[in-house]
Amino acid sequence: MRGRQLAALVRKDLRLELRTRETIVAMVLFAIVMLVILEFGLGTRDGDLTRFAGGLMWVTLAFTAVLGVGRSYVAEREQRVLDGLLVAPVPRVVLLGAKAIAILIYMAAVEVVVIPLVGIFFVKGPYWDSIGWIAITALLADVCIALAGTLFSGLALFTRARDLILPVLFLPALVPVVIAGAGATHAVAGGPHDMSEWRGYCLFLAAYAILFALVSVATYDAVFDD
Amino acid sequence: MVTARGLVHAYGERRAVDGVDLDLAPGERVALAGANGAGKSTLLRMLATLVRPKAGTLTVLGHAIPDAARAARTGIGYLAHDPLVYLDLTARQNLELYGDLYGVADRDARITDLLDDVGLAVRAEDTVRTFSRGMAQRLALARMLLHRPRLLLLDEPHASLDAAGADRLDRELDAARDDGRAAVIVTHDVERVARVADRLVVLRAGRVVLDTPMGDLDPMDVRRLYTGVAP
Repeated sequence: MRGRQLAALVRKDLRLELRTRETIVAMVLFAIVMLVILEFGLGTRDGDLTRFAGGLMWVTLAFTAVLGVGRSYVAEREQRVLDGLLVAPVPRVVLLGAKAIAILIYMAAVEVVVIPLVGIFFVKGPYWDSIGWIAITALLADVCIALAGTLFSGLALFTRARDLILPVLFLPALVPVVIAGAGATHAVAGGPHDMSEWRGYCLFLAAYAILFALVSVATYDAVFDD
Repeated sequence: MVTARGLVHAYGERRAVDGVDLDLAPGERVALAGANGAGKSTLLRMLATLVRPKAGTLTVLGHAIPDAARAARTGIGYLAHDPLVYLDLTARQNLELYGDLYGVADRDARITDLLDDVGLAVRAEDTVRTFSRGMAQRLALARMLLHRPRLLLLDEPHASLDAAGADRLDRELDAARDDGRAAVIVTHDVERVARVADRLVVLRAGRVVLDTPMGDLDPMDVRRLYTGVAP
């Protein structure tokens, strides 16, 4: 039953996104524009930005995530459907899981564009043979982003100034993700791979994801309680 | 089906529902009336498990609320002011979503029957955004009935239904009486609902001020109780 509910909710979010194309397109465009601005802003001063590439990528992805997470409950809010979901016998953790999976898919779609562009704009030296390691880093970071984003977007849903509250809550929670994501990317991009450093950062991301999963599961019922 | 004792809900300092007792037997259909702000919709949302009581006890379909709210929800059908459907999904996709959320075993056949029943079969593959308000509300009626609920909770259901939709709803409420299902119908139009309700409960300032069988109803009493002023 829970699997059927989860699949139905994810399918619904993807159907809405395929029909409206509002979130992923906006996120991809935002990320590209931000990378271009960073390239023009920094690239002309320092020819080799390799050691900053991870930081630039994860700062870009963090701000892009705020954009996507901010839209995660837009359909329910604007079309006033939330009561329909809440009156159904759906465990709140299934609502959380479905939104988190949708955000994860949106982030992955953005990264398909962003990760190669970072290599083109900012990395001198070996990069493409590191794509697999960076993709694993991105997947772990995306789980953190999706869980934290779903929790905070649920909290912000019931506040008046939700568009202001969400970045204020969400961006600080992303600081460890940006640090670890940038560190892990730096460890494998643009030179000899430092796999022990990469592994350490990835373990940190995994631990952070587990922490947010536990916090979310423990609190999500209360988020949707009156 | 419903047992409420001393239900209270407050928005800040203001008590929207203030010590309400309510019993609902199988097959019983109760009209819930009162002036704007009397607490009708809040009480209905409490029965629908959407609003947690601040005080008092509530049992819905044998399940204590809020502790066993999820079990109660399987048997609740809720028709709100808003149709509670996604505008950018088709009518069928909306019902498929709710069919999966409620675990409806014969989902596709049930959806086809209901869409036909509410007169939306030919628009089944159209997005709800292209529907009129009345059509969206007929889809909401299908959504409410999809999982064969035992308790119907309806918030001003006749307000945006056209004549055919309203007739379909009335037939459902008559069938509910015969099947032993129960219904609570929030309304301002007591005369309209009198045809399908067995009992009238009037709220004023969050309190029950009248609870009477429909047969004993004096319209003047209702008007006086709405406002607290003699007509």
